[in-house]
Amino acid sequence: MSKRIKAVISKLGLDSHERGAKLVASALKDAGMEVVYLGSFQIPENVVKTAIQEDADIIGLSCHSGEHLTLVPILFEIMKEKGLKNIPVIIGGVIPKENVEELKRLGISGVFTYGTTMDQVVEFVENICSK
Amino acid sequence: MELMGKKDVAEPGYREKVRRTKSWSAIDLKETYSPGDADEDNYKKNIGDPGQYPFTRGIYPNMYRGKLWTRRQPWGFGTPEDTNKQMKYLISHGNTGLMVFRDQPTMHGLDSDHPLARGEVGVSGVPLVSMDDMEDLFDDIPLDEISSTLLCASVVSPVILAQYIAVAKKRGISMSKLRGTISNDPIMSHVCYSDVANPPKLGVKIWGDLVEYCGENMPLWHAAYVSSCYNMRDYGLDAPEEVAFGLKIAATFIDGCLERGMDIDNVARRMSFYCAAGIDIFEEVAKYRAMRRMWAKMLKEKYGAKDKGSLQFKFAVQCAGHSLIPQQPLNNIARTSFETLAAVLGGAQSIFTTTFVEPVCLPTKDAQRTSLAIQGIVAHETGAAAVADPLGGSYYVEQLTNAVEEKATGIMEQIDKLGGFISALEGGWVQKVIDEGNQRYQKEIENGDRLIVGLNYMSIPPEEDTVLPGGVLEIPPGTEERQIERVKRLKANRNINLVKASLKELTQGVAMGENENLMPYILRAVESKSTVEEIMGTIRTTLGMSWDPWGYRNSPFV
Repeated sequence: MSKRIKAVISKLGLDSHERGAKLVASALKDAGMEVVYLGSFQIPENVVKTAIQEDADIIGLSCHSGEHLTLVPILFEIMKEKGLKNIPVIIGGVIPKENVEELKRLGISGVFTYGTTMDQVVEFVENICSK
Repeated sequence: MELMGKKDVAEPGYREKVRRTKSWSAIDLKETYSPGDADEDNYKKNIGDPGQYPFTRGIYPNMYRGKLWTRRQPWGFGTPEDTNKQMKYLISHGNTGLMVFRDQPTMHGLDSDHPLARGEVGVSGVPLVSMDDMEDLFDDIPLDEISSTLLCASVVSPVILAQYIAVAKKRGISMSKLRGTISNDPIMSHVCYSDVANPPKLGVKIWGDLVEYCGENMPLWHAAYVSSCYNMRDYGLDAPEEVAFGLKIAATFIDGCLERGMDIDNVARRMSFYCAAGIDIFEEVAKYRAMRRMWAKMLKEKYGAKDKGSLQFKFAVQCAGHSLIPQQPLNNIARTSFETLAAVLGGAQSIFTTTFVEPVCLPTKDAQRTSLAIQGIVAHETGAAAVADPLGGSYYVEQLTNAVEEKATGIMEQIDKLGGFISALEGGWVQKVIDEGNQRYQKEIENGDRLIVGLNYMSIPPEEDTVLPGGVLEIPPGTEERQIERVKRLKANRNINLVKASLKELTQGVAMGENENLMPYILRAVESKSTVEEIMGTIRTTLGMSWDPWGYRNSPFV
């Protein structure tokens, strides 16, 4: 059997709407993955540092207050700086449809907004991490 | 929200029937209600005319014939100048009171140049770092005429209020003329915003400071604003729980003030509440009526309040955010219209009609105007405002009022058994009730016990869904850079000796203990151009905590 998938799940910035991030974290755990849950009040530097320390396979972010367009580019910049280029980053939360293309252009592998089922997230993570 | 893409749980059809026969909060309902259900025999004692104890039917005899509710759509976005423009726009389109949202860094007591503030400056509120920001925010707005609600996490509220007072003083307006409300609910801030940034002990101390200071200096100001009702309802409570939690939290604060030796009427007279308006119209009306009666009785019987103003339950309403969904977003206009109607039928003093874009993005101009229009329609077209307590005497509504009161009373007794609200909170019970409420709500949507149009009933494929008219609100480019530049300029140009001296005094004030009111110290620090982070950091470090709640930055003065 291949190595268990390890995911870092985090919110970015000061927004405290944590329900979605917690739901995803528990769904991934239920699917047999290892989850490092950082929760609220995280800066991009911390998320990247944790992903490196934990040798994570994927980073999952949750944004609810419009901060995604500012903080996601910073996150990718730090990832590049620290040499963490080869792991996918996915994002969920309140993300207007109009922003999805921009996020993908920045390097986000998957955007999950309202209407996403937990099964869809799990399947996506399993697929992208087995590539 | 997890259901989209799955099949509807119920199909619209010929000879369709009502499916749910209990209220939205699971109170069982009869087929019909008749004389005898309405408790007419106890009318004088238990219901009373509008304006009469126990105020079940409203706090004024003529209600909206005397004055309509305040239309209070909130704003806070971009820089203080941007927000000022938008507030003026709202006033010119029918807003009769202001409500200011602070951005997330300000709410947590951080300056715009703090590392955690990145990406959040001016995003979901306006940055209020120093009194200069407040001055620009209220530029050309008459502070002695308008009523303003300033929203912030409680522990930071004194700084925000001090900024407001400082600007008024600079314009030659006495603080005794200021009219408005400062958010002041440390329990809500602790549960709903951040536990580490809002330690309960500091929160309760500051609650008392604000109530005492405003009681002595600002007779027109509401310094005791219990916003737990709305916020915890939106996190998962049902209507009777909203009543019970709100009243118990208020009682916790009152007890704290009485322990400090304050007079009950001085505390209670200026207390107000921030309640939700859910989608179940009759239950919401019953909830407001029950809450008024329970408050009046609690204040009179338990606390011995004498002032009529102390017995009158005054409340603002926001249409419940959780009732709105992102699917088919225009339907939210219908939802918030019913909720606004419920608030008016229930006798609210002030209403914020949540915008229909709420579940999708921050409020656009179109969405804000639509919310104001809804309130205008309810006020002047529907006839709902012409008569005080129009549903009073309805067999059903009177009975439902009693049912909500009975359930809420049971919950309050349970909280007492747990040793009061703070013990219930510390023991994890409060969070458990909220979480269970959430899960129950979700489960009832999944099993079809609750039908929500667009979610599990009459849903449409996402690709056919409505594109939002008015588009999505975008943050003006360069907002954060401009604000950080501003804060840096302030820090470079002010008289640093004045700042240091005022913060030193504040340190001494904090060290004097719980009964020393911090407001005068905070006001002096604000007038010396100290920033919100400097003031909060000084208070925190004096009490042995880290400079900022997450330990990212240390005091710049050591």
